[in-house]
Amino acid sequence: MAHSLSPECTPLKHEYDSCFNTWFQGYLEPAVAASVDSETRSAYSKQKAEEFEQKCGKIWGQYRECVQKAVKEKGLGELLEQAREENPLKEPPQPPPEVEITQSSSSST
Amino acid sequence: MHFFSQAFQYQHPWSHVVIGMWHKYPNPHCTHVVTVDVVDRTVDPRTGIIRTERVLGCKQKAPIWIVKLFGGSQDAFVREISFVDPSSQDVTITSVNLSLSQFATCFERIRYAPAAGGHTAFTQTAEIQARMALWRSAADRLENWLVQRFEQNAHLGKAGFSDVLRTMWEAKEQAAAAAQG
Repeated sequence: MAHSLSPECTPLKHEYDSCFNTWFQGYLEPAVAASVDSETRSAYSKQKAEEFEQKCGKIWGQYRECVQKAVKEKGLGELLEQAREENPLKEPPQPPPEVEITQSSSSST
Repeated sequence: MHFFSQAFQYQHPWSHVVIGMWHKYPNPHCTHVVTVDVVDRTVDPRTGIIRTERVLGCKQKAPIWIVKLFGGSQDAFVREISFVDPSSQDVTITSVNLSLSQFATCFERIRYAPAAGGHTAFTQTAEIQARMALWRSAADRLENWLVQRFEQNAHLGKAGFSDVLRTMWEAKEQAAAAAQG
């Protein structure tokens, strides 16, 4: 697992990442299967969101506190706030137009 | 503005790719990414969509002139927002640089979607744009400041030389005027 930007947060980060990954691996495929209708989907989502909070909520709180402090100490607090203001991205973006290119390309205008 | 795009397929099912994406770093092929931190994450209890905000720390071997000119360092940070939507089997990842963002932005979007044959389609687009408007306004401000300095100096030069001429010649000129009169 990758390190945290602050070495003191790395152990908390690893614990949190492990918790999330374990939860996520059990979540994803049943979540796809539960998408047959919106009722089944909501019931499953609600149950799994609660389970995630219950399993990983505590370590998340500790890791978040540590990383928030580290973000400020690295002088990234303002840059992050600015980026959030410019582009909150609270909702999934619209799918981009289909790209039919199979090879790398770059162009300039 | 520069654009970049590529698309290809991974020979793995969508769910495997999406589970795998949280294990991408550290990666010997991408040693420039050295730190990864989750700064926000929500699981929508209604839609099941997972939104994750991460900060990635990169060590870029930036050309030395860029480091000098923009006062940056070799540490660069990126903000990344991902949405995992199990119901539409859609993953979108949007990234933008935090470091040097006052000069230029690199806006990247990645998408993972199921493809035929149990494969996964990957598409990536990026827009790289220098903030020319900002550069122009900075250039304007610099020019204005230079003009003001020039005007000030021009005034000072005039006053200074007037003093020199007065000191050198005033007495003599007054004496000459008095002799004529």
